[in-house]
Amino acid sequence: MRRLLSIVCIFLLICVTCLGAEEVTTFHAYIDSDLCARLMLGPITQSRIECSLKTYKEGSNAVVVSLTDNTVFSVNKEKLLKENVGKIAAVTGEAKVKSGTMKLQSVMPQEINDIPQGDPARKLLDVRNYQVKGSAEIHEKVRHELAMIPYITEFDFISFTLVEDTVILTGWTVRATNRSDAAYRAKKVPGVRQVINNIEELPLGGTDMEIRANVRAKLQRVLSQYFWSNGSDIKIIVKNGNIILLGTVISQPDSDAASIQAKTVPLAFHVFNLLRVVPPAKKDKG
Amino acid sequence: MSKDRTVWNVARGLLAVTFLSAMLGCSTESKTADTAPGAASAPSVKKIPAGQEFSGFLKNYEQLKPNEALGGNALTYAGTEARKNLRSYFAIVVDPIEVYVATDTDASKVDEDARATLSNYFHHALLEAVSDAFPPVDKPGPLTLRLRAALVGVDVGGQVAAGDAPPDATPLKQAMNIGKVQVEMELVDSMTGERIAAMVDRSNLGAGAEVGAKDFTRVEKFAAAREAFDEWASRVREFLDSAHELTGADAERADKSYQPYQ
Repeated sequence: MRRLLSIVCIFLLICVTCLGAEEVTTFHAYIDSDLCARLMLGPITQSRIECSLKTYKEGSNAVVVSLTDNTVFSVNKEKLLKENVGKIAAVTGEAKVKSGTMKLQSVMPQEINDIPQGDPARKLLDVRNYQVKGSAEIHEKVRHELAMIPYITEFDFISFTLVEDTVILTGWTVRATNRSDAAYRAKKVPGVRQVINNIEELPLGGTDMEIRANVRAKLQRVLSQYFWSNGSDIKIIVKNGNIILLGTVISQPDSDAASIQAKTVPLAFHVFNLLRVVPPAKKDKG
Repeated sequence: MSKDRTVWNVARGLLAVTFLSAMLGCSTESKTADTAPGAASAPSVKKIPAGQEFSGFLKNYEQLKPNEALGGNALTYAGTEARKNLRSYFAIVVDPIEVYVATDTDASKVDEDARATLSNYFHHALLEAVSDAFPPVDKPGPLTLRLRAALVGVDVGGQVAAGDAPPDATPLKQAMNIGKVQVEMELVDSMTGERIAAMVDRSNLGAGAEVGAKDFTRVEKFAAAREAFDEWASRVREFLDSAHELTGADAERADKSYQPYQ
């Protein structure tokens, strides 16, 4: 009887192990802040590193960016990344690509030279890959498709980059449908072979909902020219009490005004103002 | 001996884990079914007033206009006022579904189980249809819509024969006929109650369909009813999709405004 029980237990143990375990992998990664990882796709330039360090210090979570394909992973043990933000590292753990999460086991700091020549991870470190001539048409088609996503509101921001024939999607959304729709639209553009979807679906959170509504109301009141009935030039991303302002305004005072308004919203922790200032093009006098 | 005890301890541990996992699984499942907002406390049966085209469930019907995109059998309204239109909201609370029986139906034959069966399934179908575009939440709040809906024109069907449903499908005392049902639906601001959109769907999707068991979705004989409910729910989603479609000046401005960060 006991022997039978032992066999059953061993069988169960094997089943549980097989079902529960994810494959442990090690890959070359850049340790980034959540904010920069989802906005500054592309080569690891000095400005990217500065962005990572600054926004991490200001409260953005540390994440792992796979250098092989630019997939962003939120991790369970952020402490392991703490000393390595803004650096290259070999990370080991159970990575779930679909959900963009990773159970970290270890993080080993590396230098770029530690990555062998010809390794796929090298490709994404090379700035030349982000300036592929001839892809402007594909880039514009992808951009247009993403601009036309029907359920995008001021609380969603989707960005992308094109690396050869691969579209890397990134950003944040409050709706699952935007995440899948963006991937579908990018994939159907002729010339796009692969889509990597790093768009994060934000938890709604009762407090975050109040912050969203408050920020929108304040910005609509003060900067109404950037909001129209079915959209806005300013995007308001709220995640765990942090506010990220994105999009475009025409002057620095408008950008500053947006920051000031957002900072007065109760219950918000930090405001990351990443608004781009693009003055309107001057019209030719002739 | 100690080896056996170790094995026994491992076995106990595994059984406990398995039991806990099973319990957790069960509780999660029942949570999904039972805590769908309002699903357990659906209101009672009402009747369409004699001689009326509509049930009176909606506050007013004057704003509703035929929607050709939905085949002409649907009357819809979507507010266009800035900051008070569908695009100003993204979360949703779905109220319990009300059931209105046809004017000449003997309401005494519509028992609580039958009404709850229709109400709960349509509630579930609506959530399934809209939840990826409007994430459901359990209470009203900012940026949140309240979806009110009613199944209108339910009639009493035939007797449920012993062989109509498998033994574990809990047959109803009397089948419900949904052959002439239409759906009335309204989306309101969850905090102020102000109407944002509405729809009356007169598509005759339930022709010949009856519901004769509590868990009718598992019974082949009642498959037509499940399909009808799913289709009504999917048409609500279609309406929401069409109201979100960017056109004209809005599309132009959205296109001009959008630039990815790099």
